[in-house]
Amino acid sequence: MEDTAFSAAGIIVGSTLAGLSCKDNSASASYNIMKEVMKYRKIDAHEHVGLYGLTLEEQIDIADRLGMGKMVVSTPVTDTEKVVSPDDFIKCNDIVLNAMKQYPERYLGTCFVNPVYRKESLEEIKRCIDLGMIGLKVYNQMKINNPLFYPIIEKFIDLKMIILMHSACGIGIGGVRTKYGNNQPNSSTPDDFVEAAKRYPEAMFQYAHTGGGGDWEYACKAIRDYPNIYVDTSGSNNEGNMIDFAIKYLGEDRLFFGNDLFYYQGVGTILSSNLSESQKNKIFFENFNNILRKTGKNVN
Amino acid sequence: MLIDINANIGHWPFQQTNCNTCKSLLERMNKYGVELSAVSNMNGIFYKDTQAANEELHDEIMSDRRFRDRFIPFAVLNPIYAGWKNDMDICIAKMGVKGIRLYPLYHDYELTDPSCIELVKRAKDRGLIVAFTLRMVDSRPRSWMDINKEWSLEDIVPVIKEVPDAKYLILNVANGPKLNDENTKLFKDSEIVCDTSGRSISNLGELLNTYGKDKFAFGTHSPILDYLTGLLRIESLRTNEADEATKDLLRSGNAKRILGLL
Repeated sequence: MEDTAFSAAGIIVGSTLAGLSCKDNSASASYNIMKEVMKYRKIDAHEHVGLYGLTLEEQIDIADRLGMGKMVVSTPVTDTEKVVSPDDFIKCNDIVLNAMKQYPERYLGTCFVNPVYRKESLEEIKRCIDLGMIGLKVYNQMKINNPLFYPIIEKFIDLKMIILMHSACGIGIGGVRTKYGNNQPNSSTPDDFVEAAKRYPEAMFQYAHTGGGGDWEYACKAIRDYPNIYVDTSGSNNEGNMIDFAIKYLGEDRLFFGNDLFYYQGVGTILSSNLSESQKNKIFFENFNNILRKTGKNVN
Repeated sequence: MLIDINANIGHWPFQQTNCNTCKSLLERMNKYGVELSAVSNMNGIFYKDTQAANEELHDEIMSDRRFRDRFIPFAVLNPIYAGWKNDMDICIAKMGVKGIRLYPLYHDYELTDPSCIELVKRAKDRGLIVAFTLRMVDSRPRSWMDINKEWSLEDIVPVIKEVPDAKYLILNVANGPKLNDENTKLFKDSEIVCDTSGRSISNLGELLNTYGKDKFAFGTHSPILDYLTGLLRIESLRTNEADEATKDLLRSGNAKRILGLL
């Protein structure tokens, strides 16, 4: 103890602390968070339209605040109980196509299908890709390693496009420790992704939302050795060590910035990580743009 | 100027965290321009005798003049454990704490337990702030040894009704920021400040309209959550949602008021 004089914030007994706290002003006055935010170009690799009442204009307003130029969007059916028919997924994709049409500079659409309907799904994929969509978004209607998914995966290998799959990895919600309850029995766990990635090493999979309530430590460790599994860092659970942990296990080329409707957390986690400026630039923009580059649909 | 009203040191037993010492937290504060942090020791959530954690925090703060100048200690107390009244007195007289953080979900008592109400009244009488954290971590990916319950803002209302003239911090507002009309009035009439770290502070502009610009203040919930999301929610507000004077209240003004730094 170098100096026992009670001279500081909260230490003087009975002090009001007034006037004491600002004298040793060594906090950086130069850090400007909005300047930092705007420094990085961004592609939001996991976003939605038509969900939870958020209008396109409201969403673009938030995107403008946070310097997000492009949003990769989908409209999945998130009701776990509902059987998703071809009519349902066509309606969902029409919502996305409408957003793309209204704001072509902001939205990159991805197609939603239910692989139970193989023929209809493949037809819908063709329709959506022909209308400018850039990938696939699938939810918890079926696990990614289900054989019914194989023709869809093979189609996206041919298209050189990525498959964004909803994931679940936790005690109460996912399939990792089902002993404790599994609310989404058809959700894909990290181990399901691994099985699909091993079968199709030439396919590109996007493991959804490390911050989406799953166990991101488990996920990163499970998929570490499968370079065709990318992850997006979206979700509401902006834990402090998540990005640095993901970089440690997956490297700097397999992470995508994403929000999944939680915009401040999506930006805040990456901004406050220990990554270099170059690494942040990769995650915010370059890594996903490199995926788009495979089909010539990259952002200039 | 920034004041973080929700910082922690100590260990989270189920996951490694970064910047969980006074030294590393201070480095982070310097990097991002945070002048002061209201801090407590997470070990107190897990020790049966929480006073040991308060002593650890005190010793660490006292070990370096820079810590004493920049940290505002909050004690962790457990009102159903022996000796808490003596512990509170010691925390005030010898450790200079400005507030008490309570963790009823972890310490396994009801918010309206007579002992808890007694503690809140005693804290009020001694000029201490009482802080409740709606959740420490997201319960979905929690450890199999962790608790599975989280609170929403409404869950705090019973204690506010019991002791309406106490000063409260509501930390990590992760669930349900909306209250009915009666409870909204109670919230507005009481001396309450919520920090901006929680996921339900997704539309801060609207919350300022609902509850008032004096009800929110910058907080990080570090090291559990990332350090900047709570700040981003403030700084990205448009002028029509919060002018500079309001942003200054959110950055430090409201914290100064409730912490008695004015």
